[in-house]
This record gives sequence, C-alpha cells and structure tokens, in this order.
Amino acid sequence: MIVDRRFRLAALLCGWILIFLAAPFFLSRYYLYLIGLILTTGLLATSLNMVLGFGGMYQFHHSVFYGVGAYSFALVSMKSGLPPVAGYVAAPVMAALASLIIGLITIRLSKLYFGMLQLSLGSLVWAIVYRWYSFTGGDDGLHGINIPEAIASTRGVYYFTLVVTIVCLWLMFRMVNSPFGRIFQGIRDNPERTEAIGVNVKSHQLVGQVIAGTFAGVAGALFVTLEGSVFPDLLFWTLSLELIIMCLLGGWYVFFGPMLGAAIIVVLRTFVGIYTEYWTSVLGIVLMLLIYFLPQGILGYFQRRQLSEEP
Amino acid sequence: MDVTAQITVSSLLQQILIGLSRTTILFIVASGLSLVLGVLRIPNVAHGSLYMIGAFLTYTVASVNGLGSAGFWIALMAAPIGVAAISFFIERGLLCHLYERDHLMLLLFTFAFTLVFSDAVKLIWGSDYRSFSPPDFLQGAFAFGTFSFPRYNLFLLALGPLVALGLWWLTNRTKIGKIARAAAVDREMVGAIGINVSWVFAFVFVIGCFLAGLGGALVAPTQNITQGMDHTIIIEAFLIVIIGGLGNIWGALLGALIFGLTDAVGILIIPQFAIVLPYAAVVIVLSIRPKGLLKSVW
Amino acid sequence: MAGVKPLMLEVINVNKTFDGFQAVSDVRLRVEKGQVVAVIGPNGAGKTTLFDLITGQLAPDSGRILFQGEDITGRKPHLIFRKGISRSYQIVNIFHRLTVFENVQIAVLSFQKKSFHWYGAARKMAGAETRAILKSVGLADKADQISGFLSHGDQKVLEIAIALGNEPQLLILDEPTAGMSPEETGHSLTLLKRLCADHGSTILFCEHDMGMVFSFAHEIMVMQQGKTIVQSTPAEVRSDPRVQAAYLGGADECSG
Repeated sequence: MIVDRRFRLAALLCGWILIFLAAPFFLSRYYLYLIGLILTTGLLATSLNMVLGFGGMYQFHHSVFYGVGAYSFALVSMKSGLPPVAGYVAAPVMAALASLIIGLITIRLSKLYFGMLQLSLGSLVWAIVYRWYSFTGGDDGLHGINIPEAIASTRGVYYFTLVVTIVCLWLMFRMVNSPFGRIFQGIRDNPERTEAIGVNVKSHQLVGQVIAGTFAGVAGALFVTLEGSVFPDLLFWTLSLELIIMCLLGGWYVFFGPMLGAAIIVVLRTFVGIYTEYWTSVLGIVLMLLIYFLPQGILGYFQRRQLSEEP
Repeated sequence: MDVTAQITVSSLLQQILIGLSRTTILFIVASGLSLVLGVLRIPNVAHGSLYMIGAFLTYTVASVNGLGSAGFWIALMAAPIGVAAISFFIERGLLCHLYERDHLMLLLFTFAFTLVFSDAVKLIWGSDYRSFSPPDFLQGAFAFGTFSFPRYNLFLLALGPLVALGLWWLTNRTKIGKIARAAAVDREMVGAIGINVSWVFAFVFVIGCFLAGLGGALVAPTQNITQGMDHTIIIEAFLIVIIGGLGNIWGALLGALIFGLTDAVGILIIPQFAIVLPYAAVVIVLSIRPKGLLKSVW
Repeated sequence: MAGVKPLMLEVINVNKTFDGFQAVSDVRLRVEKGQVVAVIGPNGAGKTTLFDLITGQLAPDSGRILFQGEDITGRKPHLIFRKGISRSYQIVNIFHRLTVFENVQIAVLSFQKKSFHWYGAARKMAGAETRAILKSVGLADKADQISGFLSHGDQKVLEIAIALGNEPQLLILDEPTAGMSPEETGHSLTLLKRLCADHGSTILFCEHDMGMVFSFAHEIMVMQQGKTIVQSTPAEVRSDPRVQAAYLGGADECSG
C-alpha cells in the first residue's frame, strides 16, 4: 500500500538522520569529513536531478552553479570585508543569478542544443575564473578561507553541513511532490501535452533551472566550509558529467537516487584510490556497465520491481 | 594592470596567420567530431582522448631511434591509423549495440571511454608531459623583414585546405559518402533500401576518429603533449561543431576559423584573457543563431 | 446587434503551407454551442493540421479563428487552454510515467492555476475534481495504475479524461476511437453522448469510423486536400454528390 511505503520511507530516513547525528561520537575526524563530502556532493547531485531526472532537461554543465556558489562564498569571506556568514547568503544568491542569466539564454532551446549551449556558457565562466588570477586566484584557486567562528571545528562543520543538507533536501522533496513538481514531471514526459493543458513550459523550465542552480550554490558554500579552499576544477565540465553519472547510478527517477549515487562514487573514489591511482578507469567501467545493464539506476531498479508487484 | 600589448600591422598579420594554422588542427578535429555527430548522432566525448592518444603515439613513433626526421612523417601516418584501429574495436565491440539509445546515454558512454583512456595514457606514457621538435625540414621560420613565420605553421596552413577538400570529396563525390549523408538524415530509409547501415556507421566512426588522431599527430610538434589535452580540445571541438551546425563539415571549418582567429587576436590584445575570447565569440554566435551558423544535418 | 450569441468556434478561410505543400486551403468551419460536429475526409485531407491550427500548435499563414467571438488566431496552446478549449490526440499522448490519477490531476492543477505552487503536497490537491472526472469516464478503479501500462483502449479514454481537466467549453477530439475494439468504441460513444447530455459540452471531432460519425454528429464537415467541401447535416452530406465523389465512394471507408 502507498501509505505503508511512505511510512517505511519516513522511518528509514529517521534512522539515517539519527545515525548521522550520533556519528561524531564514534567516528574519527577523517570519516566525519568524508560524510560531510558525501552529503555535500549528494546535495549537489540532487539539485541537478531536479531538472535532469524530474525535468528531463539535458543539464550538461550544472557544476557551474556549484562553482559560482563556492567562489562567491570564498570571495565574500576573503575579499569583501564582510563576515564569513555573509558568504552563506551570497552563495545561493549568486548561483541563482547565474542560473537565471544562463537559463534565460539557454531555455529557448531543448535537448541536445540546450545542453551544448549551457556547456559553452559554463566553459566561458570557467575560462574567466581560470585566468583572472588577481581576483579568483586563477589556476591555483583560493585557500585558507575563513568560516564563521561558531562552526569552525570538526564537529561544527559536520553538524552545519548535516543540518543544511537535511533542510535543503526536505525543501527539494516538497517541491518534487508539489503541483509544480508534478507539472515539471509532466514536462519531462510530454512537453507538448503539458503545453496543451495550459502550462507555459518555458517559464516553468526556467523556474526549475533557478531552483536547481540555487541549491547547487548552497552545496558550493558547503564545500568551501568543508575544504577551506576553492579551485577552478569545480567549474570544469568533467565534474558536471560526473554528477550526471551519480544520478544515473542511484536512479534519476527516484528522489534519493542521486544521493545514493553520490555516496557510492565518493566512497569508491576514496577507497579505490588507496589501492590504485587508476580510479578514473574504474569509474569509466562502472559507467559502461551501468549503461548496458542498469540504466534505471539502483533505486530505479528496486522501484520498478516494487511497482510491478503492487496490485 | 597592463593587459594589452603593442600591436603593429606586422604582428597582427603574423598572429592571424598563426591563428589560421591553429584553425587547421581545430578544423580537422572538429570535422571528425561533426561527422560522427551528424551521421551516428553520437556526441563523442572520447574524441578528445583519441586526439591525445594520436599525439602521444606520434611522439613515441617519431622518437624511435634511428628514424631521424623521417620518424615524424611515419608517425603522421601511423598514429591516425592506430587511433582508427582503436576506434574500430570500440565501435564494433561496444558502441554499435547502443545506437537506439538517446543522446544523453551515448554521450555518457563515450565519456566512460574518456575516463578509461586517460588512465590508459597515464599507464603507458606516465604522468609527465612530452615534447619534441618538428623534423628539420619544418623547423625554424621564414623571415621577411620584421615578419617571421614558423615553417611548421606554414605547413599546417597549407594542409588545412587540402584536408577540407579531401573531406568534401569523400562526403560528396564518393558512393559511401553519399550513403553516409543519407543515413544521417534517415537511417531507416537507408536500411530499407538494402544497405547495411551498421557498416556505414562503422566506416564513418572510424574516419571521424582517424581525423582526431590526425589532429593529435599534427599538433604534437607544436606544444607540450600533456594529460589534460583531451579535456581542453573536446570542449573546443564541441563548441566549434555547435556554432558551425551539427554534422556540417563546412560549418566545422567556419567554426574553426572563428575560434582560431579570435584566439589569435585575443593573444595579441588581451594576453591574459585570450582564452576567453573564443568562448565569448561562441556565446555571441549562439545567442543570435542558436542552431549554428550553417544548416545542421538534423 | 444585441442578443445574437456568437458561435462557439468559427474558422474563416484559414491557410497553412509547409515547405511549399498546401496543407489546408481556405478551410471553413462553424460550430455552435452544444453541437457535435465531425470532420471527415480521406487521409491527408488536413484534419489534424486543422486541429493543430485551432489549438495553437501551428499558426495559420492567413485567415482567422474565432472562439466565442474572440480572435484566437495563432495564440499559444497554453493560452488557448485557458480560454476553455481542450484537445485529445490521435496518437496516445499521455504522461506515461505517471499514474492515471496524476495524469488527470495535472490538467486540473494547471486549470486551477496551481502550476507554480511549489510547497503544498500535490496528492492532497484537486482530488475531488480529479476523481469526478475519472468516475465520469469509468477509470476510477484504475486510478493508481501507471498509465504507461494500461491497455490501448484505456489509454485512449485517459486521453479524453485529461482533456476534461479544464471543464472545457469546446472539446476537440482527434480520432478518439482509433485503434479501439468495437466494444471499446461503443463504450467511448456512450461516454461522449453522456458528456453532451450531462454537461452540454460542445464537441468537435474527426474520425474514420463512419458508423460513429453518422450516429453521433449533429453536423459533418467534409475535407479533401485541405479544403472544406461542405458542412451540413449527416443526411445532406450523405446525399451530396461532391462528397460521394470525393470520399464516400472511395476506398478509404473502414466501416458502415
């Protein structure tokens, strides 16, 4: 029964949240950092999936908004004279602005053309950041970025990341299950029909873009909080494709798919990286197997099984 | 902050010519990508990796002891063929089973190859960069007064139109070229009239990748051969293909010209942000003509 | 002149050309409130193009389309929906990944202008209206099934159900019984007749099933090669020599 399913999901989530809350009491600093990274990356991947899996848009360069958020936080913290807390406002705002501007330019197109134009705009941003040594630190990036005193400890950073991630995920979850979310999925499945039932498809897609970009910006700020550094790689197209892989792996028609995918990739990368320096090809082979045998992703596979079992 | 440089007519002309010679390489790489995208409808992200492999292979072959200057010319033939062979196995072994999938999946699948290839290159050639000089014949520069132009760039400049003509001949004058163009527009129809579309696709894919390898071979003597080569060239190639028109070879030439020239001029007037100029040009072009300057194949 | 009600739909001399091919040429159509009008014609006559022009998927090259006296020529589809026109499609055009309930609910939510509501839970909204529509088309018991897995006949019914989401004043149906078995066709016919009787819906549809057309339509408009040949009552159309020559005497007849 559906009610049963919701209850089980809620129970599962509560369980996980309790585990995460208790983690600092039995995990070392390194593992707390790793969880923080998983949460941040998972948040980023989920924000991508808002438009990718739930909107059907070819979001080829989502990491631009992540990078914009991260750099906004870093620059506010280091160069603006404002307290670092202001960075947490600047990051989502600047990311929202970036996604609005880029969205306005790209939204007229669809599918491959949309993705490619976004890729080129994002690359332009990358190129500027990469070369503007005096402002952004260029190739070297920025390091030693200050974060607010209140959370400037291992536990502080950890709990802050956890709380922000939970809040953001909850907001995005509500959005996906709201009328807007339904209509957005309608646009994914059948843009023509959605238009015919009274929806201005382009304006809804633009709103979706801005939402996704804003949460990516939040993830960017979290990343800087965790790492203390920022670098142009955050804006590079390879990261964007990795995010798509995470969504694919976990299952991009399921809300928690990207989170799972991010967790798997981050964990694998860390632990495979201990044994070999050839993690990249491992990822490549995983991707190939995924496309061949499990294109609906892990959670997608289970969801499909569940749906065919129900009366 | 002094970001501009002294511009003289002579230095401008020189820079433009250098930009044009870079255009040759960009065109060769982009046309291969455009072919594959136009006929097979695959955005082949691994195209950049094949370019990089072409460069590394060229270095290895050309550096074989005892070959001397001839080494480069041998490498120029061997490297693209080697790359073409690799691509043949990829296509027949794995890629051809996925043709019914949508663009995003195909793109991701080729991205998987990018990942594997970058590690393969690291494994075979190590992480250090390589470099080598062009053969004696092409070293040095021609000098006309204050105007000095590297011989190798002249070679590239001459090669560009030749490759363009060769491609035009292949796609317009040969039977296989015409079939490929038909298959780009309507693969079912081509299959329905009894042609083995699968082998047409294999052929086009191999040619496209051959061009990637050729581009890599030609660029090898002009710059450091590094690990990150694949990532930068593929973005440039995609942008060129997009502004030129998907699947359009002449579009690839036009796009490569725009890219190469803006890059060259950029180096002259704002050296620090030279790299930004081509991207900005792409954005401007796409804002005016979102589907590319010339007609795309689909 | 006061007191004269405008027609529900009026198509006046509309033309549309694609790449040199004239899809519709000086086509005319009049639909009064509460009427059921059928458009028939051989394949390629331009029926679907005409519907696309009315619902805004295509913009005419020339001519006018009036809805209740208001000029809607060339308006975008989502705006035309707001005016009270709704359409179902020849090839099943549903949201195949969503459930039957969600399919209809989406249309209702859009009609209720809730498409930007990002916070409330969708499952709690528009439930009554959605269930009412599902009940009226007979899909209430399949509400929670994924629409992609329904039988073809049920999907065609869902097609119509989605189009009912905005309590349409004009319902446009493109071959509503195409691909249906005789039994399913009978059910659909009953459903449509009921819609007319209960809600006074105005229906414009096109069909190849002549039995259904002649038993259900108040007026029939005949198209051939993009032109309107005649619009009249079924009896007059049947005996019109031009129609007989163009169509009814031909080989495209499916059933009688």
